[in-house]
Amino acid sequence: MIKKFIHQFASPKTYLFQVERVYKFILYFSLVVYFVSLIWGLLFTQEDFVQGNSFRIIYLHVPASFLSQSLYVSMAVASFVYIVWRVKLAAYLVISIAPIGALTTFIALTSGSIWGIPTWGTWWQWDARITSTLILFIMYLGLISLHSSFANYEKADKLLSWLAIVGAINVPIIKKSVDWWSTLHQSASITLTDKPSIDPSMLYPLIGSMIGFFGITICLVIISSKYQIFIREKNKSWIKEYV
Amino acid sequence: MKYFGLELLKLRKKTRSWLGPILVFWLIMIAYPLTIEFSPENLEIGFFSVLWIAILLSMMFATEDIFTEDYNDGSLEQTLINDIPFVYQVVLKVMIHWLLIGIPISLLSFIFSLGTNGNLSLSLLILPFAMMSSYIFLNLFVLGNALSLNKGSVLGAIITLPMALPVLIVLGKSITAIQLEINYSGFIFLLLGSLSIIIVTVPIVVSYIIKAHLE
Repeated sequence: MIKKFIHQFASPKTYLFQVERVYKFILYFSLVVYFVSLIWGLLFTQEDFVQGNSFRIIYLHVPASFLSQSLYVSMAVASFVYIVWRVKLAAYLVISIAPIGALTTFIALTSGSIWGIPTWGTWWQWDARITSTLILFIMYLGLISLHSSFANYEKADKLLSWLAIVGAINVPIIKKSVDWWSTLHQSASITLTDKPSIDPSMLYPLIGSMIGFFGITICLVIISSKYQIFIREKNKSWIKEYV
Repeated sequence: MKYFGLELLKLRKKTRSWLGPILVFWLIMIAYPLTIEFSPENLEIGFFSVLWIAILLSMMFATEDIFTEDYNDGSLEQTLINDIPFVYQVVLKVMIHWLLIGIPISLLSFIFSLGTNGNLSLSLLILPFAMMSSYIFLNLFVLGNALSLNKGSVLGAIITLPMALPVLIVLGKSITAIQLEINYSGFIFLLLGSLSIIIVTVPIVVSYIIKAHLE
């Protein structure tokens, strides 16, 4: 049953028709959740004792940072699926995720720099977390450059997948950089194992903004993958039916 | 062993390929004192940063055409159907490049370090760090060049350099630890650990990438 579903969903045609039905709903829902959380966090949450109002940038910075790494992991997983099982859709997803990952990493870096001015007194510091995030951004750009260098899509997909898998080594380095090196960047306030060290009045809008941002990003990936499918499958008869 | 000798001969005959990176390293190390106010204190401040970057760049140049020529003349396809598995051939290629380029550069690093700070024990410690880092960088750039085969070395550098940067961070931290006389063995083990993972994984990945190019 599950195997049958995976096989069906792995087909670009089924994927396209299935996501078409749900992605607009996810997009509107995520936009509402994100903006409600943003308004909650910006207008109805108390000021931070140490950082004042500047902390409110977390409602953009934290979701973007979290997704910049998560997208890379999902890209590496999709790459693995493509390399091992030769699922075409996985290859389309890898190249669809790359520009969105670059965008979220750029947002994380920019919002972090803006946050750094009032809190650290500088917009940039060559410390472990910031530098490793910059490396991640360059890696996304490298992946996009590599894929665009080859006219043969199949070859480009394979090479991109290998690079994405090898480059995934950078993700744990970014994640643990704040623990492994002495850094200006604070440790994570929300973890899976410990109780959050952030006040609940700030935590709930943060969780909301993360859910909203996640949904928006998923929709961007879906739109990007639809574009890839249109390009790659343009000669198939079902594409004409779809359009 | 026969393949080892053959590859060694191939690289040795291409003087530009093995001498070029060594000269690049030498020139960077010579250029460094010319760009700053000449005094021993000033020289020491940025010496090790320049040293690691020089090693990184030399290794980048060393692997520039590691597969290109074989790919263009068709011999890469023949090596794939060779008796020796392609993974071993990649390991041998990297090892030969390291013997002819990495080792001389590591020895030069020791000499430049001794000449700059006059500290023999520190300079002797530089030797294993230079040897390990050159082997790691070689492997990473081989991976980059395999990915960007026939597309120019710039693309290979763009996609590989981000993976080399954490190694540079570790090298920088280890020198700080050595200079502050705190325990630096952790950094050696970290590099050794990375090296052992890279030695095993990179040739396997490279062999798959080359096969993807030739399919």
